[in-house]
Amino acid sequence: MADHLVGGLHCADATELAAAFVLGALEPADTAAVREHLAGCPEAHGEFDELGSVPPALLETVDVVQPPGDLGARIRAAAEAQQRAGARRRPAPAPMQPRTPVAIDIPRAGSPAAPWFRRPLWAAAGLAAALAVVVLGVWNLQLRDQIGDLSTYRNGVAAVLDQAAQPGAQLAVLKSSAGTGPSGIAAVGADGRVALVMHELTPTSGAQVYEAWLIGSAGAPVPIGGFTVGPGGSAWFATPHASLGDGVTVALTLEPGPGATTPTMPIIAAGKAA
Amino acid sequence: MSEPDVVARPGAGPDADRIDRETMNRLAGGDLGALDQLYEQYGAMAFSIALRITGDRAAAEDVVQESFLGAWRNAARYVDGRGTVRTWLLSIVHHRAIDAIRRRRPTSELPDAESGLPEPLVVPDTWAAVSDGLDRAAIQAALGRISEVQREAIELAYFNGLTQTEIAERTGVPLGTVKGRLRLGLQGLRAAMLAIGVDRG
Repeated sequence: MADHLVGGLHCADATELAAAFVLGALEPADTAAVREHLAGCPEAHGEFDELGSVPPALLETVDVVQPPGDLGARIRAAAEAQQRAGARRRPAPAPMQPRTPVAIDIPRAGSPAAPWFRRPLWAAAGLAAALAVVVLGVWNLQLRDQIGDLSTYRNGVAAVLDQAAQPGAQLAVLKSSAGTGPSGIAAVGADGRVALVMHELTPTSGAQVYEAWLIGSAGAPVPIGGFTVGPGGSAWFATPHASLGDGVTVALTLEPGPGATTPTMPIIAAGKAA
Repeated sequence: MSEPDVVARPGAGPDADRIDRETMNRLAGGDLGALDQLYEQYGAMAFSIALRITGDRAAAEDVVQESFLGAWRNAARYVDGRGTVRTWLLSIVHHRAIDAIRRRRPTSELPDAESGLPEPLVVPDTWAAVSDGLDRAAIQAALGRISEVQREAIELAYFNGLTQTEIAERTGVPLGTVKGRLRLGLQGLRAAMLAIGVDRG
């Protein structure tokens, strides 16, 4: 196997970390480095598939305990409430690179313990400006009859709003320096989760990916995920990431290929989380 | 050694997965009856996993509810994935449960308080489980073929949500030894499961 240095790791280093990675036992920085390596390395790294096939089997050894009799009904009721509230979002095609399924977290629609109608009022009030942007964006897209794109956009907006409604979350409005062209919103959670939705992006071609970055007070951009964009120009993703604390800027570049560890192209759009 | 008793494993096997995939298609189409069906099939297993990891019934109920609602919202995404619906769903439950116990851990116990919480575990929807077709007894038999210390390290990681550094601290062995136990333990388990699967035809 040829050795490649990707994401700060040589192939041998990544292989060394495979067992702890598939068990979720790595420190966050090492987890991020492995993900980056797998996303950009030309080697197949089949050891991750091999070792990763084992942990799910361990779940079968758990002693079966019957849940409370009404739990199923409660789940059904919560789903119905969300459906009625229009919170049901159709899943979008995964926009991330296929080698990084780990970077796509299941989008959260608020914890069941705190459904949307019980979220603090400040969350809704604080989102008014963002909602205005969202509504206008949706209207424009509808005019252009881009139903598929609208669906992607709506799903992304829902993911961002869900993330923004978490206590301590911050919102960033991403714009280009000229104020025209692509724009979007991102929510950065207190726990470091980021949800980002963009529209009016130029579609990607070839190996191109849009890469999202977090720029903390230290100034060095940290890559949080890449995605491709179809003809409609909308895209979204949600990803867990180590928090960078207050005053973080969310930025987007169009990179010639996946796996960039530092921006190589100009920033297309950026916004400071507040 | 006598052959372990074969325990019926609901929802395992190719037929079950075909039915599950149909359920997922209905779910993706917005049919809430499919959600009931999925819960009927996997609710008890999901609750058991969540309870084993969180050790708290209320937390386990939250995890299960969150997981099924997550599966409902992401049903269409599953269709594009590999692996069985069972593995996908139970892995989501595991992921959420580990997330829950890491969140409630005191900050001082976090592996790196500066960088925030450890990232949630992978939802391994691209990893087909090596155990597909094996029942619980067979998997327990495979666990019996690796060493006690390897088993302990794997369980501390997978069911207690500890990082390899925390496992080293907890067990008082060097980090390099923990890494070796995790790697050799998983490799040994995989080999044992494959062998048992072949033995059973």
